[in-house]
Amino acid sequence: MSDVFVLRGVGHEYRAGVPALTAVDLTVSPGEHVAIVGANGSGKSTLLKMLDGLVFAHAGSISAFGRPLTEEALESPGFRREFRSRVGFVFQDADVQLFCNTVFDELAFGPLQLELPEAEVVRRVAEVAAQLRIESLLDRPPYTVSGGEKKRIAIASVLTMQPEVLLLDEPTNALDPRSQVWLLEVLGEWKRDGRTVVIATHDLSVVEDFADRVVVLSEAHEIVADAPPDDALSDRDLLLSVNLIHEHAHRHGGLTHVHGHSHSGHAHDHG
Amino acid sequence: MIPALAHIGHETPRGRRRGRSVARKTADAIGRALTEVLVNDETASRPGLMQRLDPRVSLLSIVLFSVTTTLVHSVWVLVALIGVTLVLAAASRVPVASFVAKVWASAGLFAVLIAAPAATRLVTPGPTVVPLGALSLTSTGLVGAATLVARVVAGAGFALLVVWTTRWTDTLRALSALHVPEVMVTTLAMTQKQIVTLLRTVEQIHLARESRALTQGTTAENRSWVVGRMAFVTRKSLKTVDDVYDAMLARGFTGTVRSVTRMRAKPADWLWSSACLLACAVVLAADRAVWPR
Repeated sequence: MSDVFVLRGVGHEYRAGVPALTAVDLTVSPGEHVAIVGANGSGKSTLLKMLDGLVFAHAGSISAFGRPLTEEALESPGFRREFRSRVGFVFQDADVQLFCNTVFDELAFGPLQLELPEAEVVRRVAEVAAQLRIESLLDRPPYTVSGGEKKRIAIASVLTMQPEVLLLDEPTNALDPRSQVWLLEVLGEWKRDGRTVVIATHDLSVVEDFADRVVVLSEAHEIVADAPPDDALSDRDLLLSVNLIHEHAHRHGGLTHVHGHSHSGHAHDHG
Repeated sequence: MIPALAHIGHETPRGRRRGRSVARKTADAIGRALTEVLVNDETASRPGLMQRLDPRVSLLSIVLFSVTTTLVHSVWVLVALIGVTLVLAAASRVPVASFVAKVWASAGLFAVLIAAPAATRLVTPGPTVVPLGALSLTSTGLVGAATLVARVVAGAGFALLVVWTTRWTDTLRALSALHVPEVMVTTLAMTQKQIVTLLRTVEQIHLARESRALTQGTTAENRSWVVGRMAFVTRKSLKTVDDVYDAMLARGFTGTVRSVTRMRAKPADWLWSSACLLACAVVLAADRAVWPR
């Protein structure tokens, strides 16, 4: 089976002379769960959009499922249909992703674009709505639901297309703790289903539970590490250098000590 | 009340108070605008006459009444049609006083201003009813002006009935089912969503300023600040448009919007449609009898 994504020497600039990504080499294999981590502005979202064929490389090459992923390739209706049905993208800002009249229409949008029969579209919407427990929201306009519900709807709107590969940009952003736990359970289910998942995040607490591999982007927009989570997350100097943790001093009784600290959560070990 | 928006309009005091800043006044006005969107949806969810109808039937019957309104000549028949809007509003559990106030505030007063000159001798000669020199009101002019005002009020009443008794989502679905091009329906849906989202942003911007401002600032400073925020919101809006388009592409959008029709007309809908057709025919016949050609 060919690799899902292969990137070689990929670079991108939104404006001349201002790089968003530099010389990125990355391979994602079927069934892998990959976390792309980095500070704000390191290029995580750009990389994810490149994997979804929404932003294109100015340098290097990207292939998806063994075929070049270029603007020209996506103009071919056959490849575009196949690619869009196999790769789903959950945006960081759910308000951007939810543009339809009702939640039902939102979930039906993708399958309808794939020109599936109406009965199949309705069946998929009902199935995914039940799975994500949003049946009661189906007739509501998406902009009237809460932040956690919006994220569920955004994920559901992609799941109705039954993609093999899911790309999630900052999936825990604006989620309350219960919704974060729910999301980790969903990611666990996808792992058991053999789905390939790539997430971009700076929330290190999610990475540990979710990822097979961690790809670390520096503030210079380069990949500086590609390693199993235990190795990447225990490399304090690496995480400090890419601004994912910061030195944190505090007192325990009469003892003051300093250690690395992520701001995604305040739980940490004192081993 | 929809939970996610329940706070809107409640966190800011109602009514006019002296000494409030521009930021606070604007935030309050936005809060009221957002509340109105929600109130409309709540009214549309009540178990009233119009709300029970299939949205397509509701929409078509109101269009039928509106067309009839434009074809009627007699002011008395138009007044009767205004009465129909009030009866329908009451039967649909719409607060009649608010309904009347809204119709007159949005259309009635405007129509009066437009029609007023037509009531004078200067524009419409005829027997004088109220002598005011060159601006004396004539009976012919008054009838003409009253006809115009009555027509506008009746038409606005029917239009407002649709807005207040049909949820926005159902109206859009009805438009789709009635074969209005999907791209138009989707644009309407996205516009509504974008307006609500941007209104929330603008409200937050004004409240953020209020929370940090120590003085109310001069008029020139306020004007300059408002212009700057308008530019910011415009840029944000344009950026959102690009992002939404990317989100559509990511889910396979190719330029054609498709939808699933989930509407089934019930016997009551057919009965209502027939009754509306009959009522409109009777109205037109009565109009011809009162106003023979």
